[in-house]
Amino acid sequence: MRGRMNAGLIVGGTLVALVVIAALVSFVWTPHDPTLVDAARKLREPGGGYLLGADKFGRDTFSQLMVGARTTLYVGIVAVGIAALIGAPLGMIAGMTPHGWLSELVMRVNDLVFAFPALLLAVMLGAVYGAGTLTAMIAIGVATVPAFARVARAATMQVMVTDYILAARAAGRGRMAIAGRHVLPNIASMLIVQASVSFAIAILAEAALSFLGFGTRPPTPSWGRMLQESQELLFSTPRLALWPGLAIALAVLGFNLLGDGLRDYLDPKLRRIRERTRRSERSGGPTKEGLRGVSEER
Amino acid sequence: MRRIGTMIAAGGLLLATACGGGGGGQPGGNTASKQESLSVGFVAEPANLDFTATEGAAIPQALLVNVYEGLVKLDQDGKIVPLLAEKWEISPDRKSYTFTLRKGVTFTSGAPFTADDVVFSFDRVKSDWKLKIKAQLDVVDKVEKKDDTTAVVTLKQPSNGFLYALATRLGAMFSRTGVADLANKPVGTGPYQLGSWKRGDSIQLTANGEYWGTKPAIPGVTLKYFKDATAMNNALLTGGIDVISSVQAPESLQQFADPNRFQTVEGTTNGEVVLSLNNGRPPFNDKKVRQAVRHAIDHKALLDTAWAGRGQLIGTMVPPTDPWYEDRTGDHPHDVTKAKELLGGKTYNVKMRIPNLPYAVAAAQVVKSQLAQVGITADIEPLEFPARWLDVVFKQGDYDLSIINHVEPRDMGIFADKSYYFRYDNPAFGKLLAEADKGTEQEQTDKLKQAAKLLSDDAAADWLFLFPNLIVAKKGVTGLPKNAIAESFDFTGLAKQ
Repeated sequence: MRGRMNAGLIVGGTLVALVVIAALVSFVWTPHDPTLVDAARKLREPGGGYLLGADKFGRDTFSQLMVGARTTLYVGIVAVGIAALIGAPLGMIAGMTPHGWLSELVMRVNDLVFAFPALLLAVMLGAVYGAGTLTAMIAIGVATVPAFARVARAATMQVMVTDYILAARAAGRGRMAIAGRHVLPNIASMLIVQASVSFAIAILAEAALSFLGFGTRPPTPSWGRMLQESQELLFSTPRLALWPGLAIALAVLGFNLLGDGLRDYLDPKLRRIRERTRRSERSGGPTKEGLRGVSEER
Repeated sequence: MRRIGTMIAAGGLLLATACGGGGGGQPGGNTASKQESLSVGFVAEPANLDFTATEGAAIPQALLVNVYEGLVKLDQDGKIVPLLAEKWEISPDRKSYTFTLRKGVTFTSGAPFTADDVVFSFDRVKSDWKLKIKAQLDVVDKVEKKDDTTAVVTLKQPSNGFLYALATRLGAMFSRTGVADLANKPVGTGPYQLGSWKRGDSIQLTANGEYWGTKPAIPGVTLKYFKDATAMNNALLTGGIDVISSVQAPESLQQFADPNRFQTVEGTTNGEVVLSLNNGRPPFNDKKVRQAVRHAIDHKALLDTAWAGRGQLIGTMVPPTDPWYEDRTGDHPHDVTKAKELLGGKTYNVKMRIPNLPYAVAAAQVVKSQLAQVGITADIEPLEFPARWLDVVFKQGDYDLSIINHVEPRDMGIFADKSYYFRYDNPAFGKLLAEADKGTEQEQTDKLKQAAKLLSDDAAADWLFLFPNLIVAKKGVTGLPKNAIAESFDFTGLAKQ
């Protein structure tokens, strides 16, 4: 047991679990075919096997939401995967050689990518290579690389001055070994937190891209495109925009809470503060170290 | 000092409100005699006001028929009717047109309209116009003035397209003394003249008090330009404008469902929404497969879902406002069994490359769902429009299926060009078109009917629906042009009860 379960972790975890379960179940079962167009069911009211009603094409909204969850997770996993696999090693390299030319190069290129809006990149890639889930994922992934690189670099630099790294170096350990055996395990918690937050951003980005017509190709259900298709019906059938909107909001909230919760749960410094506070509660009043720990955190 | 400024501002506001109140024309008002100006919302603003030098539909939309008039015009049923010419006679060899001009017509500059202006306007197309479409008048050999009210146009060869071209902007009549600054100061003979132009916002047309025909019932029209359709919709909802010239998203019409406040006018356009089939490569080089596609699609259901049931079903490349229109929707009725039979149990995977335009994306999803039921799997790929779509589909012809609204008037001829992206190649069709252009008017109609039927029988493409013209206006606005088949938005009959 590394830390204590907190509210963010529980609520976030539950919301994320809901999305994951919906996505997994959609592989084997949906109430109706989510892409089957049926004029007779056009704008069908909720009820009678159609839990949330049907859209203007007569497609079941609930089934679309379930398959949309799959799209969302798919995009999130691949985009965050790309970002982590490229960003984390780059950040570690930069962090382990903080004054070298390589570090400078990596971080300046990072700044360059960071300055470029993710959506613009995605729209550009979509225009050149054709819109689709893959281009959206790559664009979101590439645009998220700097976030990972920065977090990894900062964390690595902190770790590099610790006694155990000095000891490892004194013992003649190679760079790769230090990176793999000592640095990575110690910055992993921060990367996991970053991944969770980036996931939320990726979900929003995918929704925005699909809304703009540069994301998931029709008719594959996507929450963003569901929103876009319901736009003109906003006044007459608001529920069509409500459900995908709610799904996006809850999924983003879920991943953000999960990220927050994980940070509290995994961060060794915060844990130390908590332990001290707990100890001081027993002895009455917070200790000096506890307070110093907080100010260091800021 | 500051207080005075505020007071002046408040005073100005009060004044504006007073004017606005008068302009609104309260329903319970005392005298309903005086008509008020109307404002009409559009989405594309013209770059300038010179349609002789600048491409773009927005300029003739605003000015043709309203400010500039031609010898003839297209009426709401697609018929060519007299305008500045009272009548015309065609010589037996159909190469000479004698136009008798209306008397007593003056330009808004005060100059009289005579046969000299006709000669001037025709010659000016050749010498000064910079548009590609001016080639349509290449058939004109010479134009001569017989007397002040008679002009004779001689053609190089008989042409059925000549009079129709005169109903477009190509036939607009200009004053010999009024073409100095066409981009800013249009001078025509029409029922309206340019009042003011606030760039980026609106164009104001005021009624021409000296107009030769029935004078407009309202003192003026304001053409208000919006960046997007939603802003335009909101402007009508909040009373900022009186008319939406064209509704872009038919489902949004439900906002204007209240009959006590709004009216919706639905008419036709020249836009055939075509499901293009690549006739040049498998599988759609096989007529049976193409016919199977036409049988597989339930057009009524498609129109109901993809475009809110607005529009009209057509079975071939002819809108109902063309003289050679015939109802061909029964040629390939929705019949899944028949479609499967035609496919002979085979299944296909095809690329559906569509422009990323609302109607195409909506229709594509229905087409995909319906084709899946007969064993054709279509992979939808939206391409950025215009650049990407034009390059990949239109130029390179790298597609199996596409969906696009062909908006040009009388555009059946595109199927005669086998390098056109349909890659349709049937010499019999080209022969019919050539005969139609050479023949008399009756022959033209007959031949084009046959040509349209041939397209349908060959399943050269599938025609999903005819794009509707949707106008929403405040209740009480009358004289709205129902069909958008000419280049102009005709304000001539506009009035408010």
